[in-house]
Amino acid sequence: MNTLLLVAGREIRTRIRTRSFIISLAVSALLVVGLAFVPKFLSGPDTYKVAVVGPTPAAVENIAFTPYPDEAAARAALAGGDADAALIDDRKIVSEGELDQRLGLLLENAHREAKIKSSGLVITPLQVETGADAQYEGVRTGIATLLVMVLFFLLIYSAMYVAMGVVEEKSSRIVEILLAAVRPWQLFGGKIVGLGTLGLINLGVVIGAGLAAASATGLVADLPPGMTGIVIGTVLWFVLGYAFFSALAAAFGSLVSRQEELNSVLTPMTTLMTLTYLVAYFAAVEPMGTLARVLSIVPPFSSMVMPVRSAATEVPVAEIALSAGLMVVAVVAVLLAGARVYNRAVLRTGARVKLAEALR
Amino acid sequence: MLEVQDLRKRFGDKVALDGVGFAVQPGEMFGFVGANGAGKTTTMRIVMGVLQADSGEVRIEGRALTGEDRRRFGYMPEERGLYQKMNVADQIEYFSRLHGMSATAARAATAELIERLGLTERRASAVEALSLGNQQRVQLAVALVHSPSVLVLDEPFSGLDPLAVDALAEVLKDRSASGVPVIFSSHQLDLVERLCDSVGIISAGRMVASGPVDELRDSEGRSVLKVVVRGAAPGWADGLRGQVTTDGGRDVLTVEDGDDQEILRTAVRAGTVEQFGRQRPTLAEIFREAVA
Repeated sequence: MNTLLLVAGREIRTRIRTRSFIISLAVSALLVVGLAFVPKFLSGPDTYKVAVVGPTPAAVENIAFTPYPDEAAARAALAGGDADAALIDDRKIVSEGELDQRLGLLLENAHREAKIKSSGLVITPLQVETGADAQYEGVRTGIATLLVMVLFFLLIYSAMYVAMGVVEEKSSRIVEILLAAVRPWQLFGGKIVGLGTLGLINLGVVIGAGLAAASATGLVADLPPGMTGIVIGTVLWFVLGYAFFSALAAAFGSLVSRQEELNSVLTPMTTLMTLTYLVAYFAAVEPMGTLARVLSIVPPFSSMVMPVRSAATEVPVAEIALSAGLMVVAVVAVLLAGARVYNRAVLRTGARVKLAEALR
Repeated sequence: MLEVQDLRKRFGDKVALDGVGFAVQPGEMFGFVGANGAGKTTTMRIVMGVLQADSGEVRIEGRALTGEDRRRFGYMPEERGLYQKMNVADQIEYFSRLHGMSATAARAATAELIERLGLTERRASAVEALSLGNQQRVQLAVALVHSPSVLVLDEPFSGLDPLAVDALAEVLKDRSASGVPVIFSSHQLDLVERLCDSVGIISAGRMVASGPVDELRDSEGRSVLKVVVRGAAPGWADGLRGQVTTDGGRDVLTVEDGDDQEILRTAVRAGTVEQFGRQRPTLAEIFREAVA
């Protein structure tokens, strides 16, 4: 175990200093932060500035009124960008270019309300009532879609590093000296643990950046309850998914002796991952569908579909338990088979080793 | 003592090892020679536990070798390999840790070895930036840093310039003098003859000769008697079972067996004896004879 940690430590130390790791960390964090700002950007400013000539209307939420002496001064303020619109003598609205739809409605509404009030009529506004699920549906779908992208990116990139590391040791022949000192499973396991730790660090940065951006933009108020559960669940599912795919990556990688051959030998793994990504994306959009429900139980699809489905909607605990149990079994099976293939193939340099031969 | 006993190994239909066995005493330097494909590398890989034998055993101090024993071995495979992007000191230290040294001991041993191998100025360089000669030194450092209990080196001298050969020979002698069994393979038979206490000759997966170098050279039927006589009449040696070649007025007689005193008397009667003595075959001659 000690040796396994030594191997893992080397992986972390050498990889964490590389430019590619730092870049991927920065890119994924920026992506998430950027996406957190999108709703704010699309929804326009929080407070509109309106230049007023003549009587100032009663206070309206989200609008700041500034009085101006005459229409010309108000128009000048508009042109200078000091106001989003101008209200002239309670009679007309002037704007530069198209009038913001929401601002238009707010002003129109305020105008009508003032007129109705002055006529003595009382109107009770309609009450709005929504289901608990529906209330956060939009945000949950948003988070789930984001999660799909982040999980897929991190899984495929971490697994690729595992495969590349295996081939690096095989092609440089250093594996022969390594295996004279350590057992194959220690090398296999150490690589997976080390690069997995880096993947977790990256996931942590992404989640941290996402939450920080959400609180900076005020989006955090819109987050559904149980976010902590979603975050913990995501991390655990990432660990399971990573263990599964990285074991595949290490096993397939050990079959070839040159980096150039890596892409073709990894095709089954990348295909499986892409498939998982597609169904998970589908599940994010339609979390209640049959496909999402079934595939969130079946490994290895569950590793991405379940966290996405849990983010998008409430999933019964029994289903989560069943799904996690099956995934753990699949992970153990793949780790054992992968270690076996690795053990048989990693010293056979030269031509690509056939998978069936290595498994026998 | 390290004993290799009756190793057998097949790769598919091909028999790689067909009962290979030898023993190396502590403090002994053992040269392992054989043609390409004879089974040297396979044997060494099995000793290191990198390959599994189909049958046979490697023993140390009379018991079967364990993973823990092997962890204290030092190994240099024929195909050299290092982490190209890792720096010299980190690399050596990493391997010493893998061989079971504590962090503190690893750091100290690494610093000392870097100094001894003259790599001090390159200690922070990535391996890929080093000259081939310096890469070889790092490779050696990786095999030596944990003060191995047994050293197994596959073609350690190949590709070295004469000065580097001498330097490496010194290092190996040093280790062997400290009581470590050293096994190395080489095609440079003069080098093996000069350095090794014992040799093993392997051919097509079998040991065809093994033992102390002196014994092999002295063993019966291998050494010949060489007599150089000047001014002898032709046919003087007809009564002896040997071969005569004439070279500038001198007859050179080589005899494989016979009574050397009788031969000497015959030669003295025939002419002026310029040279008389047993000539031991070189390792190269023994090798050619053994693998023929």
